[in-house]
Amino acid sequence: MRVKKPLLLVMAFMLVASILVGCMNNDSTKKDTATDTKDGKKSLIVYSNSVSDGRGDWLTKKAAEAGFELKIVEAGGGDLLNRLVSEKNNPLGDVVFGLNQMNFETLKANDILVPYEPKWTAEIPEGSSDKDKFYYPLVEQRIIMIYNKDVYTEETAPKDWTDLIENEEFEGKYHVPGNLGGGTNRSVIYGMLMRHVDKNGGLGISEEGWKEIKAFFDNGYKTPEGEDANANLASGKVPISFTYSSGLPGIEEEFGFEAGIVSPEVGVPTTVEQVGIINKRKDQDTAVAEEFINWFGSAEVQGAWAEQFGSLPVNTKAVAKASDKMKQIGENTKIQDMDYTFISEHIDDWVEKIELEIF
Amino acid sequence: MKKFINVHVHNKIYLWLVGIILTWFIAAFLVLPNVNILYTTFFADGAFSLEPFQKLISSKRAMNSLLNSFILGITLVITVNITGVFLVLVTDYFAIKGAKILRLVYFTTMIYGGLILVSGYQFIYGNSGFLTTALVKIFPTMNPDWFVGYPAVVFVMTFACTTNHIIFLSNAIKSIDYQIVEAAKNMGASPWQILIKVVLPVLRPVLTTLSVLLFASGLGAMSAPLIVGGKDFQTISPMILTFANSMSSRDLAALLAIFLGVSQIALLYFITRAEKKGFYMSVSKVKTRIEKQKIENKATNFIVHFFAYVLFAIYVLPIMTVIIFSFTDTYSISTGTLSWEHFTLDNYIKILTDASSYEPFVISIIYSGLTAIIVVAAMLFIARIIHKYNNKLTTSLEYSFHIPWLIPGILMALGLIITYDKPMPILGNIVLTGTLSLLLIAYVIEKIPFTLRILKAAYYSFDSSLEDAAKNLGAGSFYTFVRVILPIVLPTTLAILALNFNSLLADYDLTVFLYHPLYQPLGIVIRNNTDPTASIDAKAMNFVYSVILMAISAVVIYFIYGRGSKKKNIL
Repeated sequence: MRVKKPLLLVMAFMLVASILVGCMNNDSTKKDTATDTKDGKKSLIVYSNSVSDGRGDWLTKKAAEAGFELKIVEAGGGDLLNRLVSEKNNPLGDVVFGLNQMNFETLKANDILVPYEPKWTAEIPEGSSDKDKFYYPLVEQRIIMIYNKDVYTEETAPKDWTDLIENEEFEGKYHVPGNLGGGTNRSVIYGMLMRHVDKNGGLGISEEGWKEIKAFFDNGYKTPEGEDANANLASGKVPISFTYSSGLPGIEEEFGFEAGIVSPEVGVPTTVEQVGIINKRKDQDTAVAEEFINWFGSAEVQGAWAEQFGSLPVNTKAVAKASDKMKQIGENTKIQDMDYTFISEHIDDWVEKIELEIF
Repeated sequence: MKKFINVHVHNKIYLWLVGIILTWFIAAFLVLPNVNILYTTFFADGAFSLEPFQKLISSKRAMNSLLNSFILGITLVITVNITGVFLVLVTDYFAIKGAKILRLVYFTTMIYGGLILVSGYQFIYGNSGFLTTALVKIFPTMNPDWFVGYPAVVFVMTFACTTNHIIFLSNAIKSIDYQIVEAAKNMGASPWQILIKVVLPVLRPVLTTLSVLLFASGLGAMSAPLIVGGKDFQTISPMILTFANSMSSRDLAALLAIFLGVSQIALLYFITRAEKKGFYMSVSKVKTRIEKQKIENKATNFIVHFFAYVLFAIYVLPIMTVIIFSFTDTYSISTGTLSWEHFTLDNYIKILTDASSYEPFVISIIYSGLTAIIVVAAMLFIARIIHKYNNKLTTSLEYSFHIPWLIPGILMALGLIITYDKPMPILGNIVLTGTLSLLLIAYVIEKIPFTLRILKAAYYSFDSSLEDAAKNLGAGSFYTFVRVILPIVLPTTLAILALNFNSLLADYDLTVFLYHPLYQPLGIVIRNNTDPTASIDAKAMNFVYSVILMAISAVVIYFIYGRGSKKKNIL
């Protein structure tokens, strides 16, 4: 009989009580997040990986002017996808945008999207959207190889990714990613692998393709965490790298150098940021979400977005507002023809194989 | 007689109640979500397969990384214990000139860590670091990329992982009864003998616990191997993180994590057994406060002073460079150059004047504070039960509370979501996803093993005869706990409160899946502002946030620990 009953009991109850109280509290806050149009405000929770650098604040402000009250949940592409999939039985968000077409394929396969048709479908190029109407394109990013113009000229620079592997003079001179979590890094991988599709090969890729990827990583400079590939590019230490198109102006400005753009004959990978409505199951009313997407994807808003943040809109009526640099990238590079359904089925396995066997 | 039965029955009921609550907690939060996520991971296609095992075993990288993690774990147990004991002897045992300032600098690892700490070391020793540049000038043939691989990782981590030593070992040293030291002296023992035969044995219970934690941090090392490990010294944690983030590779992540967890728990098993055999110190009941020992031998005195100040330099340089570089732009940080041209206050202004920026700070402070208090209060109680009732039930209780070590944080978070996104009877049909409590629960779970380990060690290192004495004098159990036991474990309790608080302040990995959209914690905001693929000034912003966090942590430590330790160590 040496127990300190009162104190121990108090503590035990504290543990339980604090958790329960937490739960209760939240039931009340939950109502606030509901998407119904209370107080005449049309509130929405928007999930996105494409709202950094002030884009989120800009969007929230502009949307408020149009009568929407937005709460943005921001995370990197991979994290956002994980969160959406794990929440699928009880989704919190109403709209998701910014993820690429392969991520949206995953969402669609997990029954996380509701089909709909925005008003501006006539303004996007034919065949550019999902045929089952689950998601629609907003902004295009071309993934381009770039080089430091102080080090290479157009003649001496590589002409294609394969040059990096075949030509010994580029050994150790180009940046290869240390992780393959992000969309940009991944697109470099599938841009190369998709040239070697072989239904009988390992994971749908021929032996030749895997050899090429291995050589690509072995000969490249694997930029360690904490080191900046762009700084290396600017200083000439590792004068060849890659980026997504709208990232280029910022890199040139921050590090004060001029980048050359490589335009392979086969074309460049492109990732297209999409938008879709999240499936909340229980007799949901998607009217506000649809209204928001009608507004957000319109030529006017996309044009303003492009003007403000230097992106390349998919909406044909908004393209005119894109910066000259973006237009130039859009004209000088062509899109690599790839089967994105095939990619989205295999990309995780490819990445796993590279992580296990090549890194 | 009637009274005896009454008390006995009461006691039984009470124990049953505690047992039921704990069983429920363990089942609902430690077992069910984790089993759920492991099941969906391993039985993704409806059947269990050995494929993930084969994949890992045939991967040279995975096997090498595993081996490296083990090597690192074992190395750190040795190197950090040596460094840690030396640091504590310098600050609390020997009379060293400038001990106060030394102590302050040795404390710096408490306020920063992870990527930023390693970046700080890179500014000094990296290929464009200050020391490297200086050395290359003297020895032009030197390879500027010398600071890479196993030695570099061990170097960084040896000095970065002494936080727990500085806190908990110095508490233990202060609790040495000075009369024994005096007695040993009178019997003619040399200072060296006193150190080995008297001082170190007192430190043993704490040292063993710290060794378990060191092994764990070696196995789980992330930032240091990523930044300075290079191609030849990769470890397993970055791999686990990558795989856990990819839906189809989660089985690999879980498998690797379980393997690491099991080895930690195996080590724990041996330590726990050793603890049970007991290292109770039988020392005098009326303790005298320890006095600092002057080192009489001149040569020894010089050597000890010399190393104390070498360590001072090792600790102070990285944090100084981090603070200085936080006032520059990404260009300077990336290239490691300092010049007035690149000096800027813009990033500080950007963060500190943004109207929406204080809110995440408040949210994170509330979450971290609540977590720290709940976890420490609960573990204070549970560690006490384990310490007091040393039987099979409490042993299994103790092991259950180490489940979070078996599962990487990301998987635990996902497990909580997929389990409680629907009404579950075990939780009274409350749906947790979309509530504020979900993140709190995850934080609490995450902090349980560490807190329990330390608090248990604290209970074991006090003299239980004090408790008996209080009882014999007629003090009630509650009174005894509050007036006798609590004051002894209080310094440790407060320190761990501060450590837990600081470690959660900017957490990202757990938070990202669980936070409530309307209440964005700091870790999320930081990551969104410092993601290199999204923001050009990512690096510079990261440094600014880190320095602000350092300031908050320093304030917390000052209030909770710095002031507390002086008062509480009277005994």
